[in-house]
Amino acid sequence: MQDFTSPQNEETVGLKTEELTINMGPQHPSTHGVLRLQIHSDGEVIRAAYPDIGYLHRCFEKHSESREYVQVIPFTDRMDYIAAMSQELGYVLAVEKLLGFEAPERAQGIRVIVCELQRIASHLLAVATYGLDMGGFAPFINAFRDREHVLRLFEEICGARLLYNYIRPGGVSRDLSPGVLDKIKDFVKYLKPCLDEFNELLTYNSIFVSRTTNVGIVTGEAAISYGFSGPNLRGSGIDVDIRRDAPYSGYDKYEFDVCVGLAERGTVGDCWNRYFVRVKEMYQSLRIISQAVEALPAGDAMGKVAKSPKPVGEIYMETECPRGNLGYHIVADGSKKPWRVKAKSPCFIATSSLDEMCRGMMIADVVSYLGSIDIVLGEVDR
Amino acid sequence: MNPIREYFQNIYDAVTSTYKGMRVTGRSFLKTQGFRKVRGGYDYGAGPVTISYPEIKDDIPSISRNRLFMHQDGCIACNQCAVICPVECITIESRKKSEDENPEARTPAEFGSKPVKLKLLRFDIDEALCCFCGLCTEVCPTECIVHTTEYEYSKFDRDNLIYDYLNFKDENPLPKG
Repeated sequence: MQDFTSPQNEETVGLKTEELTINMGPQHPSTHGVLRLQIHSDGEVIRAAYPDIGYLHRCFEKHSESREYVQVIPFTDRMDYIAAMSQELGYVLAVEKLLGFEAPERAQGIRVIVCELQRIASHLLAVATYGLDMGGFAPFINAFRDREHVLRLFEEICGARLLYNYIRPGGVSRDLSPGVLDKIKDFVKYLKPCLDEFNELLTYNSIFVSRTTNVGIVTGEAAISYGFSGPNLRGSGIDVDIRRDAPYSGYDKYEFDVCVGLAERGTVGDCWNRYFVRVKEMYQSLRIISQAVEALPAGDAMGKVAKSPKPVGEIYMETECPRGNLGYHIVADGSKKPWRVKAKSPCFIATSSLDEMCRGMMIADVVSYLGSIDIVLGEVDR
Repeated sequence: MNPIREYFQNIYDAVTSTYKGMRVTGRSFLKTQGFRKVRGGYDYGAGPVTISYPEIKDDIPSISRNRLFMHQDGCIACNQCAVICPVECITIESRKKSEDENPEARTPAEFGSKPVKLKLLRFDIDEALCCFCGLCTEVCPTECIVHTTEYEYSKFDRDNLIYDYLNFKDENPLPKG
């Protein structure tokens, strides 16, 4: 095969070449939001790719300094709007830890159920748009059909489809009704064959496999040194999951496997393995949901917490979001409002790897790599 | 690998994986042809999942949070909703009642029979700012401010989205109690 990546000098080729700077985005369909990639390309080969972020900056951290603890929750929703429930949980757990409070058992069970449903919805969107970027339209439609069911469940649980404001310090704002629990059970039964169908449609499709395997390989060491987390890290073969290693909200009660990239196709750490970790995680989420629904104890869904809590201290809390480890650092000075809230975003870290990973790639493979790290720009910019 | 063998292997792979994809598509196509009913709930996986939206509207749960509505009789002008709102979209003005304005009045029983000590002068909600978090409806002591299930209220002018609930004329009269 011809080596496209070596610089071709004028003498051997006899043609004068120059680097071309092109902009990918911010309105490019496969940048998943408003990301601009400044690409310096030599023909089809990329010499450098500079991500330009900040189009969706909404001053989350500064805003939260002038809002009460409860009022910050709607803002955390809007950070990662694809997985809002998980973002809420991280923030609320941090506040509860500051207060030295543990939510009632039932509330913890409900949190696990909604967060795993959210993980399914988020991963469905991730794999669906990834398939769309790779040129498969039918998987996209199928996955959105299934995601719609999760959103309808959420609307019935808490009244909103995307931005929930459901998990609060002390518990959850609204108890689950028995009718909704039945619907969740039905959904678990429904989704399993759909995921098998999805695998048939996209995962093992030979066109998809040849476009994603051995592309954008992030080795285990590289993934750790970048600071990757979540499915991106597990796709590189590193067996880490906060839900298992440092359980929160009663995750230790449920049985599930941590999915890592096993190179069923391609090599560990390539785009296909990162993608397939997400698919495998959806099966595990279904397992957790059905256990949590069965084991959901009776009791209060909301514990006794002051309406406007006034904690003192400093805390850092990490949770396992669909896109990786989301950390909240809160400094509280004993007033109604937090003194400082800092969110550590997994997507920002994944974005920082773009330049180094894209060097030497073809332009079409950038789309493949960008889709496989599954970034949401709302969380990158905050 | 032998190049000739690789060539035929590629053709075989392409044909089989295209066939697998088309089989799933065909199955879904046949499934939706069978019974075409309007979706009103959770019929998982059976029938079409799309609806012809403006003509047929989806059923949304009664707790769904959409446009805000304020029952004027129930408001005691306590200002709690305006304070809790994270985006400050509620504006309330009030003054103390004078002697001849019935200072002993109470809200109707459905709003908790709370004493009304203040006269409400202004109650505006800027729906363009509202973030539909539902915090105001939770703190309201008389539960007079509610999220309705009305979601079709887009306007050509942003100023028209400021709702004055003291002189409220509903263009689609369906306020939920």
